[in-house]
Amino acid sequence: MDIQKFKQDFPLLQKGIKGKPVVYFDNACQTLRPLSVIEAVNQYYREYPACAGRSVHKLGELVTKKCDEARKLVADFIGAKRREEIIFTRNTTEGINLVAHSLGLKAGDVVITTDKEHNSNLVPWQRLAQKIGIIHKIVPSKKDNTFDLEAFTEMVDEKVKLVSMVLTSNLDGVTIPALEIIKITHRHGGKVLLDAAQAIPHQQINVRKLDVDFLAFSGHKMLGPSGTGVLYGKYKLLEELEPFMVGGDTVEYSTYKDHKFLPLPEKFEAGLQNYAGIIGLGAAVKYLDKIGLENIAKQEKKLNRFVTKEIEKLPNTTIIGPSDPALRGGIVSFYVKGVDPHQIALILDESSNIMIRSGQHCVHSWFHAHNIQASARVSFYFYNTLEEVEMFITNLQRTVKLLT
Amino acid sequence: MFCLLALIVFSILGIFSASHRQLAKEAFDCVFRRVTLRPCNTGFDTKIKGKIIGKLLNRSEFVAKLLNKHFEIVSWVFFILLLSSSLWVLRGGYNFYMYGSCNGLNESGFCAFDPSGENNKISQVDDSCSLNPPSESNLDLTALSLSEYPTKDVNSEDSLIFIGCYNCDYTRKAYPLIQKLQDNYEFNYTFIHFPVKEETSYISNYVYCANLQDPEKLWLFNDKLFVSSKEDVANNEYVDKVAVEVGLDIDKLQVCVASEETQKIVDDQFEQVRATEIYGTPTIFINGKALVGPKPYRVYQRVLGKFW
Repeated sequence: MDIQKFKQDFPLLQKGIKGKPVVYFDNACQTLRPLSVIEAVNQYYREYPACAGRSVHKLGELVTKKCDEARKLVADFIGAKRREEIIFTRNTTEGINLVAHSLGLKAGDVVITTDKEHNSNLVPWQRLAQKIGIIHKIVPSKKDNTFDLEAFTEMVDEKVKLVSMVLTSNLDGVTIPALEIIKITHRHGGKVLLDAAQAIPHQQINVRKLDVDFLAFSGHKMLGPSGTGVLYGKYKLLEELEPFMVGGDTVEYSTYKDHKFLPLPEKFEAGLQNYAGIIGLGAAVKYLDKIGLENIAKQEKKLNRFVTKEIEKLPNTTIIGPSDPALRGGIVSFYVKGVDPHQIALILDESSNIMIRSGQHCVHSWFHAHNIQASARVSFYFYNTLEEVEMFITNLQRTVKLLT
Repeated sequence: MFCLLALIVFSILGIFSASHRQLAKEAFDCVFRRVTLRPCNTGFDTKIKGKIIGKLLNRSEFVAKLLNKHFEIVSWVFFILLLSSSLWVLRGGYNFYMYGSCNGLNESGFCAFDPSGENNKISQVDDSCSLNPPSESNLDLTALSLSEYPTKDVNSEDSLIFIGCYNCDYTRKAYPLIQKLQDNYEFNYTFIHFPVKEETSYISNYVYCANLQDPEKLWLFNDKLFVSSKEDVANNEYVDKVAVEVGLDIDKLQVCVASEETQKIVDDQFEQVRATEIYGTPTIFINGKALVGPKPYRVYQRVLGKFW
């Protein structure tokens, strides 16, 4: 993979900020966007800024066609059987909430999550536990923060209606053994929802091979426009679900007393959609196909290996998660004893345009449970290079020295 | 302490910039939490500290490290400096309002509210060097025999002595203000022409003689000369014309002006004024208080005790 060539597709990496190059290591939050995505969004606004579906004119037809193409691209990208299994959302959070509120959970139903869920896959279950009395169970991770399959297996029984788990953690980059989890859950009659926000952009996911029931992810973490997301669901399951949001564009007709929902996917896509975003997401998928997810994973692993080795040399520094970088994808979360991670992030940004994340990364529950204030997080993508990582390490050493 | 410092600085900058307004809001939130005995957990201080140290780091690692280590102390130092300079500015504002100069009455030096120093400008008496710099505190009116000079006595407890020169720009600036003051308030008024501009020396004789001939007409004569061009004032034919215009007997006036006795008296008056140690015109004494240079109207009012 010729990284330098791909880097040219990213305007920010070419232009920099105030004439200085940008080192962007906050890809777990959002990735940068290539020109083809930007252009696809622009093209929509410039050439056919109309509604899909409801309008019969040329522009309307064109938007419908482009959105359909994007849906097909996304479906193929994750190995979905039918394009109707792809519901466009605003983000992963919306996808999870859709399942949470549509699945028809009742008091006493059990939902299992891991102990390091993003708030988007924690709060919905806590709310349902408070409101309707579902039982929310948490699988504790092993000491090295990897998934404890044994503990999970012991926890699953017929009362478990849903296992909703983060496929790859945004905290430490650890990926859970989804295949086994799904098999075990299905054996007991439960369903599985995977939060794949940090997985889809970095590894090959095939929903049919996994046999996962629901899978939610965001477009903006995979080169797509902000505010785009996808919920995949098995066709039959989606058909059975009650829509979470209803109204415009979800019904075939309505009378003063009744209405009839449209078939999938429309019944879940209420109101006027983010057409520009959906079309941009299609362009992002095309771009990712061109690069190849195996190449992306390879590059990230290489960078993670190097950065892990260097961070481990820093005094009083702890990396969250397993010590083997191969188990942490493209994410390195670390903290230095006595040093505020926000200070590290701010100083790296101000002094060298190196952008990393600091804080609790929306996994407050894990930090509270482990009594850790916060961490600094480096998350890579394919356009990051070894030179950038070397520059980061040099500046990190200097910053840590300054702050300790 | 840093939050308080930031609140003050960003509030001031926020007057001009929306982005600083947001920072001021964050700083206020932080200060408010502290004041209400809650921890400042807004991250504001961390954010600004990180930004400052990050910028410094590329210039000097040593200074950045030092600042990081003593950030709170440095914040205190800057806060004290800010407080001092704010007090200094307030003092300057007060002085400007009360005396027309940030530095106090008759004190020159830079003043942001009067950057060109207009309110302290004078035409100097001479360019001679002195061991002691001229000071308003050295001024002494005891040598002046006020009855020898043109005076409007309204039997008031207040008095104003105006020492000026017809061709001094600053006297010309102050003169209409003193006229306005006379229109609005009652006080005994004495006018002394002190010719710091050589071309106006001869007019002292005219002032003396006009006052002798008809004091009321002298004031008209004065008013006209102060609005005439400086070139005209330097020309005695023009001054004669003005004397005629105001109704003075020009023949008698010219005889008086040319007499040796007049010259002797005028010279004596000149020496009296010099003995006061005034160092420039206009110098105005209101109830004995000297105001050097053309002050704003409110200052004259205030010294006269008529402002409030």
